[in-house]
Amino acid sequence: MEILRVENLKKIYGKGENEVKAVDNVSFSIEKGEFVAIVGASGSGKSTLLHLIGGVDRPTSGKVYIDGKDIYSLDDENLAIFRRRQVGLIYQFYNLIPILNVEENITLPCDLDGKKVDQDRLEELLKTLKLENRRKHLPNELSGGQQQRVSIGRAIINSPAIMLADEPTGNLDSKASEEIISLLRLSNKKYNQTVIVITHDEKIALEADRVITIDDGKIMKDERN
Amino acid sequence: MLGKLSLRNAKRQAKDYIIYFITITIAVALIFSFNSLAFSEDISELSQSMKYFKTSIMIMSVIIIIVIAWLVNYTMSFILEKRSKEFATYQILGIEKKDISNIFMLENILIGIVALAFGIVIGTILYQILTIIIMNIFAQPYQITIDFNLKAVGLTAAYFMGIFFIALLNNRRKLKKTKINELLYAEKKNENHLLKKSLGNTIIFLISIVLFITALVIIGDTFKDGNSVKGNSTLIAIFLTIVGIYLFYISISSFITKRYLNNKNRKYKKDNMFLFRNLTSKINTMSVTMGTLAMLFTFIIIGCSIAMLMNAMLNNEIEMGYPFEIMISSADGDFSKYKEYIEKNAKVKGMYEYEILKINETGISNGLKGTPFEENKWYDYDEVMKLSDYNYLRKMLGYEESTLQEDEIIVQCLRTIEKDFEKYVKENNTIVIDQQEYKIKEVNGENFAQTISFNGYIYLIIVPDEVANTLTEIDLEGESYNFRYKFVVQTEEKTDERFYDELCQFILKEEIPQTEIIDGEEIEYNLEISLGNVTTKGERLTQVKSFYTIISFLAFYVSLVFAIASATILAIQQLSDSEKYKYRYQLLRKLGVDETRLNKMIFKQLFIYFILPVFIPVLISIPAVFLVGRIFLVAVTLGDIALNIGIILGLLFLVYGVYFIATYVQFERNIKEGTR
Amino acid sequence: MSEMLKVEHIEKYYGNKDNITKAIDDISFVVQNGEFIGIMGASGSGKTTLLNCISTIDNVSAGHIFLENQDITEIKEENIAKFRRENLGFIFQDFNLLDTLKIEENIALSLTINKKDAKEIDQKVKEISKKLGIDAILDKFPYQVSGGQKQRCACARAIVNKPKIILADEPTGALDSKSANDLLSLMEEMNQKMQATILMVTHDPFSASYCNRILFLKDGKIFNEIIKGEKTRKEFYNEILDVLALLGGDTRDVR
Repeated sequence: MEILRVENLKKIYGKGENEVKAVDNVSFSIEKGEFVAIVGASGSGKSTLLHLIGGVDRPTSGKVYIDGKDIYSLDDENLAIFRRRQVGLIYQFYNLIPILNVEENITLPCDLDGKKVDQDRLEELLKTLKLENRRKHLPNELSGGQQQRVSIGRAIINSPAIMLADEPTGNLDSKASEEIISLLRLSNKKYNQTVIVITHDEKIALEADRVITIDDGKIMKDERN
Repeated sequence: MLGKLSLRNAKRQAKDYIIYFITITIAVALIFSFNSLAFSEDISELSQSMKYFKTSIMIMSVIIIIVIAWLVNYTMSFILEKRSKEFATYQILGIEKKDISNIFMLENILIGIVALAFGIVIGTILYQILTIIIMNIFAQPYQITIDFNLKAVGLTAAYFMGIFFIALLNNRRKLKKTKINELLYAEKKNENHLLKKSLGNTIIFLISIVLFITALVIIGDTFKDGNSVKGNSTLIAIFLTIVGIYLFYISISSFITKRYLNNKNRKYKKDNMFLFRNLTSKINTMSVTMGTLAMLFTFIIIGCSIAMLMNAMLNNEIEMGYPFEIMISSADGDFSKYKEYIEKNAKVKGMYEYEILKINETGISNGLKGTPFEENKWYDYDEVMKLSDYNYLRKMLGYEESTLQEDEIIVQCLRTIEKDFEKYVKENNTIVIDQQEYKIKEVNGENFAQTISFNGYIYLIIVPDEVANTLTEIDLEGESYNFRYKFVVQTEEKTDERFYDELCQFILKEEIPQTEIIDGEEIEYNLEISLGNVTTKGERLTQVKSFYTIISFLAFYVSLVFAIASATILAIQQLSDSEKYKYRYQLLRKLGVDETRLNKMIFKQLFIYFILPVFIPVLISIPAVFLVGRIFLVAVTLGDIALNIGIILGLLFLVYGVYFIATYVQFERNIKEGTR
Repeated sequence: MSEMLKVEHIEKYYGNKDNITKAIDDISFVVQNGEFIGIMGASGSGKTTLLNCISTIDNVSAGHIFLENQDITEIKEENIAKFRRENLGFIFQDFNLLDTLKIEENIALSLTINKKDAKEIDQKVKEISKKLGIDAILDKFPYQVSGGQKQRCACARAIVNKPKIILADEPTGALDSKSANDLLSLMEEMNQKMQATILMVTHDPFSASYCNRILFLKDGKIFNEIIKGEKTRKEFYNEILDVLALLGGDTRDVR
């Protein structure tokens, strides 16, 4: 089942001579349950592409369908709601709320919807993420790897349609990186979570089912592993 | 959920921005205490003029509110920008923009309420202190009562709620407009130079200097003496100064760059490169803010100095004009009833009756040439006093007595022109009275009630008793201003306004019938006039005190708020950038700079940053105050002017200094946090 | 070849008697003048601590470290900063350039800290920037130049002082493979053409393959040492991977 479809996506910055085509007419689709890595050099446009897919930045032209919904037909407020239910975002710099502890950070998307948290799911997640003993800690009391695990937890607690990760291991040493990669792999296999990772780390690319290579805002290669 | 976020954010904000929080609390305390003073009945009953106190405070409060509003708004926008990544996270997580605004609003409302509460408590204490001070000025006893003026509370709360409300609305609008992208990458943006071409900057810098000089020249011309003061030229000068200030601060960054950073020799010396690059990168965005702060400081210094000068002038005028506690002039010389009344109602230390004679002009008024009083002598006679009267009066006032040979006279004049007269007398040391030549033995300038023409207007000629008896007087019989008979009284304690009113009432009763029978009916006159020929020092002082209490309090009220608001802005800016500076200073540490040198650099950086907005104001204000102060030279000396400016600058640097030290301590702590 | 760095039986502990962590547990080795040496190990193996001790940012609990015969561990607190700025050069993970300074000023920073004469500074900066191919961008600010140029600037700053040893801490950590390649080639150049002695701490085998010699740390001790000798970089790389596989069998969180 197709979970994501990108059609003729374009993002252009600047005008005339200073025009920069960050994303240049990109089209592809992703099935539910795929683990996709998008690789490219810095400046290739991969981060911009991720933001466009995640509904964080509006494209100059083109469409993005998540689970059949044309996300850019929604207004800002509805897009925000859509995003918190259907898209899990993980960034290089964790982006945790500094005043909330581990548990609260993870359950934030549920709280925002006013939904009751499924305690069993939360416990299972904390166990999988190896954060049971840290559940009341604040972000500044955690190591880099632990913080990133919290943001993964936050990203999947709601079982979103797609999970997007932008250089999730960029700030971590090799051991922590490996953990994160295996966690992503785990959530993909165990929960059939669709995972799209932007990275320059070849190790992650090796773990993915499919690797899309981007350069200069265009798709260069799209291969299965 | 959102409530939880707001509450915790508020706690964190209070900690991170504690200086801001404290300043707001101080501002609340000040505004509350001053408004309580305005509503206080005890205060407004002190004298007639004190009712103006209330109105003036209300007006000043409006100005203060505007400044505080600016501070709050600025800080809020600032905090918003610093936390842009955090707000981006909220958006990314899918919190709706309106909820994000609400989180932010609630945070700030919580902080505002706490500041308001603390501020009112502190303000109540401050109010008591201020009341005691004012009561002291008026020599009134006062008992501390815990008096909670609800009107003042309500007004203060209303002011602050208004301020926060407007600031929140403004920032809510800003939040709504931002896109996630902008928020995520806000910090990476580099600061734009306001003016890119360096040539343009140099020209602007020079223009600003020219504007300052022009403004000063205009002031110099306008305030030559009390008569030439014109509103228009003052306004023009103010306008030029303001424009000059802004232009200066806009161009200063490129000036520093040129001087320290484009010249390799200077750049590579010591820590210049690091320090000045830190400085200029901030100054660009800060120029408008710095200009505004400089403007505030200039007005503080000039305003307060002039207020103090006015005080000094008024005070001096009273001292010079009324050395005796009670002074009465009369045309008929019968003071017996007054003596009785006064002895009954005041503790008399000494009394004296005497006469002042009027003779033809002797030409001694030429001594006034070159003094502020040159044009003032409009009448064509000179006034004379007997030596024995003179000496008795001098004894009463505690001055040394004088002696005269039969061909000598003394000139008694105002203190402020004593030196001018002495100079004149050196060249013209004789005068002719009644065709007799007399040597001018000495010129005395002690306070002798001469500003109100009680003992001669501006100057008085003292002659030996024998001469006085034979002088030819001008005949002013029938002229209404011929109050030649004088009666003075010194008392043990100062008298007050009430004493004066009752004295006048008594005199009027004696002079004027209270009732008159018209058409067979007895009509009562209820006369409440004060008499021009009766003055008491106590009553005059009360008038003056009211005036100067109002002016001083207002000046200090406004200045204090301006000063702390400005210092807070600077403090917040530097402190909130601690993260950035932490990184920079840690790098230096790694590269091999030792603690002592690092501390010195931190100090230098903060010092330059704090001094910059004060530097121009001090440079401009000092000459400005001297130029304007010339109109007060009738009653004050240059030394007084210098003293006043000195005091104001001292106080300003004191308050500023406290903020500077607090900022330095916190800054150093932030930078060293988490390191060995 | 003379000894540039000698590390003698150093130990480093954290904590108190109830809870002691041994970050470095008796390490000794020697680095010759002109070597390009790599230190590898998992996080928690002690490699960062080792680097911090050598760079005088941290103190050892026991043992000595000699830099060209001067005992670093005996230097008084007030002289340490001076020692650091006169003898060491640093290349960090994210270049650590100051964004308020121009490229030429960033390079000059280590010289101004050493209070060198302005003319001398100017000359040295020009010299090194030419050698590293960045003389055209001296007047620009970091945000105006590419990542690759920033790396070159960081390297220039590290070497302009002619330090006795250059310490590199995960220099390729934040870079994509192409940029990492460029940086490593640059460091190789600095080592071979400018005789810079370089000690690099890294977890990345690809980066490590550029070194002449690699020490592997595990649990605070030297676990293994391999020398490139005449091997090609690819061969050396594979050898490194083998050692890492051995090392990686036992994972343990030290903290």
